[in-house]
Amino acid sequence: MPTISFSLKELNKLVGKKIVKKDLSPLLEYAKAELDEVNGDEVFASIGDTNLPYLWSVEGIAILLKGILGVKTGLEQLKFVKSKDSIIVDDKLKSIRPYISAFSVSGAKVDEDLLKQLIQLQEKFCHTYGVRRKKVAIGVYNYDKIKFPINYKAVDPESVHFVPLEFKREMTLGEILEVHPKGIEFKDILKGFDKYPLLMDYDNNVLSFPPIINSNYSGKVDPGNSRLFFEATGTNKEAVTLATNIFAHAFAVRGFKIHSVDVKYGAKKETYPQEFKDSIKLDADYVNKVLGTSLSEKQIVALLKKMRYGFDKGKVLVPDYRLDIMHQVDIAEDVGIALGYDNIKDNKLEYYSTGDSLAITKFIDKIRELVVGMGYQEVMSPILTNKNLLYDMTESKDFGTIEISNFMSENYSAVRSWIIPQLLELLSKNKKEEYPQRIFEEGLVSSKKTLKDYDRLAVLTAHTKSDFTEVKQVLDYIMNSLNVKYEIKEAEHSSFIKGRVGRVYVNDKSVAYIGEIHPQVLDNFGLQVPVAAFELNLTDLYNAL
Amino acid sequence: MQGIKQLIATLHPLERKVVPHLKEGISLDELVKVSKLKEIEVMRALQWLENKAVIKINQELKEVINLDKNGVKYRDNGLPERRLLKQLKKEMKVSELDVSKEELNVSLGVLKKKVAINLRKEGNNLLVSITDAGKKLIEKDSFEESFLKQLPIELPKLEPEQKFAYDNLKSRKDLIKTDLVKLRTVALTDLGKSLLKEKLDFKEMIDKLTPQILREGGWKGKELRNYDIKINVPKVYAGRKQHYRAFLDTVRRKFMSLGFTEMTGPVVETEFWNMDALFMPQFHSARDIHDAYYVKDPEYGEVDEKVMLKVKAAHENGFNTGSKGWQYKFDTERTKRLMLRTQGTACSARMLASKDLQVPGKYFGITRCFRSDVVDATHNSDFYQTEGIVLGEGLNFSHLKGLLKMFAEEFAQSDSIKIRPAYFPFTEPSAELFAKHPDLGWIELGGAGVFRPELTKPLGVDVPVIAWGLGIDRLGMFAMGIKDIRQLFSHDLKFLRNAKVVW
Repeated sequence: MPTISFSLKELNKLVGKKIVKKDLSPLLEYAKAELDEVNGDEVFASIGDTNLPYLWSVEGIAILLKGILGVKTGLEQLKFVKSKDSIIVDDKLKSIRPYISAFSVSGAKVDEDLLKQLIQLQEKFCHTYGVRRKKVAIGVYNYDKIKFPINYKAVDPESVHFVPLEFKREMTLGEILEVHPKGIEFKDILKGFDKYPLLMDYDNNVLSFPPIINSNYSGKVDPGNSRLFFEATGTNKEAVTLATNIFAHAFAVRGFKIHSVDVKYGAKKETYPQEFKDSIKLDADYVNKVLGTSLSEKQIVALLKKMRYGFDKGKVLVPDYRLDIMHQVDIAEDVGIALGYDNIKDNKLEYYSTGDSLAITKFIDKIRELVVGMGYQEVMSPILTNKNLLYDMTESKDFGTIEISNFMSENYSAVRSWIIPQLLELLSKNKKEEYPQRIFEEGLVSSKKTLKDYDRLAVLTAHTKSDFTEVKQVLDYIMNSLNVKYEIKEAEHSSFIKGRVGRVYVNDKSVAYIGEIHPQVLDNFGLQVPVAAFELNLTDLYNAL
Repeated sequence: MQGIKQLIATLHPLERKVVPHLKEGISLDELVKVSKLKEIEVMRALQWLENKAVIKINQELKEVINLDKNGVKYRDNGLPERRLLKQLKKEMKVSELDVSKEELNVSLGVLKKKVAINLRKEGNNLLVSITDAGKKLIEKDSFEESFLKQLPIELPKLEPEQKFAYDNLKSRKDLIKTDLVKLRTVALTDLGKSLLKEKLDFKEMIDKLTPQILREGGWKGKELRNYDIKINVPKVYAGRKQHYRAFLDTVRRKFMSLGFTEMTGPVVETEFWNMDALFMPQFHSARDIHDAYYVKDPEYGEVDEKVMLKVKAAHENGFNTGSKGWQYKFDTERTKRLMLRTQGTACSARMLASKDLQVPGKYFGITRCFRSDVVDATHNSDFYQTEGIVLGEGLNFSHLKGLLKMFAEEFAQSDSIKIRPAYFPFTEPSAELFAKHPDLGWIELGGAGVFRPELTKPLGVDVPVIAWGLGIDRLGMFAMGIKDIRQLFSHDLKFLRNAKVVW
């Protein structure tokens, strides 16, 4: 969820209406945003919708709030002047990073506030919506240093060198990926390509190496500049277009004049900014059916205009800075938001139903009650643990473990395959607590072989006189209470003492291990009392009955 | 004197055995001797009597001289210098003496000092002979020897003669040692003094009912000793349910009482059920590798091809829903990628696609989920989610509001709720639920919405589906008064044994 900050004074100026601190929270709800903090003039907010990047700057929020507050409703038209500036796209980029959109601005001055919002929007857009620059990356330049037409082309990594932003010496593209911080951060995007994208002007000055870094020559914008060039490159045409539209609106709201740029794909020419001309037929019945309201079409249209949609001949016109409208239901939600969720009534469910738990849940709960009745303290552990605990500490072989490929901490790098190790660890952490320590855990383990979960019950008793008999009494009590016949056969398990460990069978199906924990294992855990334990597979037991 | 009579009636048998021997200043050791009880028994009796304000136990630390390991030997067999003297029938070479090397020099030194021997040199040999004073010395115990026999003695109570012996012995190896000893003595309170003046007649009282007394009716006509019922009893740690699991049990019962049926799903999920079936596009930021745990081996699982192709169509072009879809190429390999479930909503998707689905229906799940996070006071490696669905013809956002209101009443005891617009990729409209908790003010209870048609139709559901999720870990922490989320899975036995029971 993107978190942004902006100046309240600026918001007021851009909306053209006084908004005070206490109005912020309810107003931001229209943007699905949560007010985090107001620090003097600076407002911090979290924007919930990851598909509405136009709201990730004060300009976009201002466009929406103008509608909400009735300053200006309906579509926000983007006016621009046609220019002859153009970009020629190299056909070889098709498989690398084919799309580009652009515009330029003039007529107002860049100040600190604008620069701050510009950088913020650029970062959030590229990171979240642009999937860490993979789908979309954005560059802003000093227009006066560029000679049109621009070439957007695919080049050999070592054939071009230029001074990247914030650096003093020339580097090749390959070198930038190895040395420049941004190169290191984003080089994955270009992995596997033998040619890299490059923007170069008519005089062969490099503008940038998208999606990595701008040049220090033209790719630097300072307060006081008034003529800027903007471009977005990427792998998705609509997303690249959206970037240009959103930024063009942001500049336009601040009083800049927008100039178009032509993009030439061979003989085909596209002009940016570019409206999507997206519309959706309004179905008032559907909207009312989704919301549980009885609004007239007129009311619905008024609400939609508050949200800055247009309406023409039965069609809802979607603003060109939005790509999130896929279905009628999206329109319905915006009607609901404009109306206010508080103004929709609460309805009770009308049909009667009886509740129930899973059959195995009932079985498990009864068994937990029996073990509690035997004087055992129930415990609960994370299901994520590690192989060291599962096998090394318990002197056991690995009997198939689901491991995490991208774990954050080694401690939580595997799904548990049995529960006893975690309970031994618990005992080792509580050596100062009063004995006897009788504990149990019922919970899931996962099997690598079947990729399924199993409910297991692990029961441990630890004190100076704990032994096989004591823990077998618990197993026996459970089985007798369930009226289940079982058989224990001698078994081998290196976590237990040889000759004091068995496998438990019900209807010839193995359901548990039971035994006294091996002194080497106790020693590994620093335990100085004997421990007897069993681990019963409740899923298998349930299925065997 | 009603109080005293009452007091006498409550005396425990051990107290009764001790009381007759009580006097001002008597020590624990003396009481053990005269009462013929074990020290622990006398001590317990004294503690009870102190609780009843009959006596006060004074404790003092005293230095007491005791025998050390050589001391015990020499007390029984005599000091080595005695054995040396006894060998001196005539003048002897020192090297011929039958005394251990260790003891020889000390013994010679001591005897020389007492003028009990003469030493002279002849060539390389040292010769030793007994004097008259030495002969006398053999006849009776030396000061030192009789001192050893008198031990233990308190250091400050030494007589001059004993002091002399003590000074001589204290530097010798392992003969005597000084221990710090707790000395307990009894001081009588006024109540105690009055008690001792009473005629104590304990004969007729029954302490514990025994099968024999009951069988023979021996209790008839006799009094049973009164107990001190206010006395503290030793703590017991019996079996009990884990605090958070017990809370989740309550939540489960609550959902069942509200007419919901439990659903479940596997911990190891495919991307398909965890995200694709929920209409989360494969390029969505929530699917970033930094948020979800992926399985190392095997990397891919199985997905039902038929359902998958419909979901694929929904992503690419909206399937038959009238939606545009996400407009990208759906990756049919990636959808099989195995991961750990990040959200319980995966179970809702499975339920919707299940042949057991009832329409209308109400389902809930309490599921363990996993997201890649650094474990700290607000993040666990695993966490619980509670989520569910309500489906049926004619359901809409107003029913969702009614449902959320009910949850707020049931789970946060609040009839004051706030429902705000929110974003989830799988619901539209979407909402967040806040409830005003009686103690904690506004708290976020969870999220909800109406599942998008692009989600429900590919799974074979044509009626509206309301979906919701509650932040159950947080609700549990509120209910149990826990500040650190790690305590939900605490391995601290003291905490587990004493955790507040919530109902």
